[in-house]
Amino acid sequence: MSMNKQSAVRTAIGLLGLLAVGLGLWLPDGRLAAAGAVAWVYLLARRVCVAWRWRHRKSARNAAQPSPKPAPRPKARAPVDPGDTRGLVEQMLSQGRFALLLRPQVVENLDEAQFRKALEALAIDTALVPEGEVVLGRIDEALDDGKLEPEEIRRCRGRVVRVEPFFLDRYPVTNREYYEFVAGGGYQEISLWDPKIWPAVLELVDRTGAPGPRYWRDGCYAEGEEDLPVVGVNWFEAMAYARWLGKRLPSDAEWVKAGAWPVPLSAGDRQQRKYPWGNSMDRRRANLWGSGPGRIVPVTEFAEGVSVGGVYQLIGNVWEWTSSNFNPRNFSSGDYAEGELVLTSPMKSIRGGAFDTYFDNQATCQFQSGDNPLARRHNISFRCAVGAGDLVLARQPSPAASAEEVPSSLAEDLPPESELEEYADVPLDDPICEPLAAPVTHEELPSPLPEETHA
Amino acid sequence: MTKSVIQPLESLRLIQYATPVPCFICGTDNTIDAEFCTHCAAPMALAHQVGKRKIRPQMIAVTGAANVGKTVYLGMLIDMLSRQPDRLQLLARGAFSITLQQTTIAALSRCEFPRKTPNEPDRWNWVHCEVRRPKQRKPMELIMPDMAGDAVLQEVDHPHTYRVIRAFLKRCTAAMILIDAPELKDDNRDQDYFTLKLLSYLGELGDGTSSAIWRNRPVALVLTKADQCEECLDDPAGFAEDHAPGLWQHCKERLVRHRFFAAGVAGGCAAYDTFTEGRVRVPLRIEPCGIIEPFQWLLDQTAQQPEKR
Repeated sequence: MSMNKQSAVRTAIGLLGLLAVGLGLWLPDGRLAAAGAVAWVYLLARRVCVAWRWRHRKSARNAAQPSPKPAPRPKARAPVDPGDTRGLVEQMLSQGRFALLLRPQVVENLDEAQFRKALEALAIDTALVPEGEVVLGRIDEALDDGKLEPEEIRRCRGRVVRVEPFFLDRYPVTNREYYEFVAGGGYQEISLWDPKIWPAVLELVDRTGAPGPRYWRDGCYAEGEEDLPVVGVNWFEAMAYARWLGKRLPSDAEWVKAGAWPVPLSAGDRQQRKYPWGNSMDRRRANLWGSGPGRIVPVTEFAEGVSVGGVYQLIGNVWEWTSSNFNPRNFSSGDYAEGELVLTSPMKSIRGGAFDTYFDNQATCQFQSGDNPLARRHNISFRCAVGAGDLVLARQPSPAASAEEVPSSLAEDLPPESELEEYADVPLDDPICEPLAAPVTHEELPSPLPEETHA
Repeated sequence: MTKSVIQPLESLRLIQYATPVPCFICGTDNTIDAEFCTHCAAPMALAHQVGKRKIRPQMIAVTGAANVGKTVYLGMLIDMLSRQPDRLQLLARGAFSITLQQTTIAALSRCEFPRKTPNEPDRWNWVHCEVRRPKQRKPMELIMPDMAGDAVLQEVDHPHTYRVIRAFLKRCTAAMILIDAPELKDDNRDQDYFTLKLLSYLGELGDGTSSAIWRNRPVALVLTKADQCEECLDDPAGFAEDHAPGLWQHCKERLVRHRFFAAGVAGGCAAYDTFTEGRVRVPLRIEPCGIIEPFQWLLDQTAQQPEKR
């Protein structure tokens, strides 16, 4: 019986009951009145039962939260014939492995259009951080409050690190991007992994026991989490993914350089930003405790917190693994600063703060924290980097390359050959490389990876 | 030129002294200017404030063994609720109620844990606050002291050593018992035994009419330091069943309203070797998780079935 019919029957019973009670009292007939009363008692008892059952079901629902629905698995890529160079290159480009294509060993095998495409992907997905010096440690705080002795400041200044030019991913690695690695057999390709982790690679599984990040199910992320930074990956997984892309993790100094964007004022003096956007905390620019929704957000959100070089979400949302070890000297803990920091296990440096970072002073470019390289935390992700010197950014066009090979859409944008020749011996900090270094506005950027066709 | 000055008569001062002020915790009469109760050492400011407000505050015990994280938990809870009032709003009553929050947050922001709470009850921090909840029109007044774990242990082992603890626990409407999860994971059974002792102690407290007043009162069992023991975050009750079976069974049998929770404040820890204090643990970053949930559950439980007094 449908719900409407049931409620109609109940209404009829109620009305008849009321009529019976009325007639019973008017005639007066005790049996009629009693029958009406029984009908009303039945309706009341039913109502109480329904309310009680609903309450119990609600508490049972609350007790057993359903597991998040896995996302429709992205369509597996068709295997490419190893002899089909063009197909392989196209696949690598769609997987975001352009850095591998731009390596000197590989780049010679690319035709002009493919090379251009790889360069274009590099310009869109990464930001160039110029060479220069960066200060690691407490120097900015020391200069701020003037509490340090000149000798100590000199010691801090001893931690100046020189950084070579490098490209840093504009966004942290997303679930969708990491899926390419998992589905492409990254966890089975032992050459990608640090030998130290070989005995434990089989243990790097998701909730269902499939290879992948800790919080995934059946080797895939949950629905709606495509553009969220991948979390639940340890330092070794991050390194393996970066190697698969032809990149690496940024060092501690590189990460700080990209965020603090130091400006040399004089020979021994430089100005470093506390946050990528300036020196004061603006909670609208970063996903931290109390300023965001209290969970990880897609990598394209909080775009106002972009760095000078065009790198997003360096502060907030997720901590980021760096390639460096956690340096206890860079860590300062109030009263115990004179003591020796003892680590129970070796730690790798993490930077930037996460959505649940409580204090603003722990979400600055200078603040360094650390975690066990095997830890697969809910709030630690990573982004990749690649040295500018490791890539071929300009080359002599090969004689075989002809205009027909270049897609018409790209051909219009290509500079004339004479202009390309000019790139050959140009250093990266030359203004001619500006298109690679210039920050791309948020609106101009596509999603971190091209949209996948879902099955 | 003359200036009028109001000078209280000495006799009036004597009258004030003659009127006793009962301690809010143990009920012992004290003089008007006493700072702490002469019997139990609870701050008399509580009695004065309650007298002024005419609202009877409820009391919630946050207790557990030493070094389990009671001060950090309580200080963090108060700061979180006063900073982000979406779910619950907490307003301190009186300056003394802010000291705990201030010392805890100052220490944590410097990447340190606050100093150990001293055993002397007159040096404990008491929190008297008003809690507002979105669906409730009337705010609730709460009193929560930060009791030293060693003192609680001593009182449990030797009843009547600390009168304030006994008097306070008798009057509490709910309790939150903190348990060190990494210790449990490392098969250190002390946590299990201490919590069992504490629950047995609560079970023996009577109010004169009934001997088992804690059987129906809500008790939240919070597994702390979850950052070092992430598995307890997913299933706190399952973790307790696996690592503290005695406690789990005791709760099942003796407590009608109880629930296990997991909470953490630090995102990672290291330690300093110091000359004066030996090895001191420090947090590498502050990422609170699971702090509000047990408190909210206790408030809901307390509101659902107000205890007969």
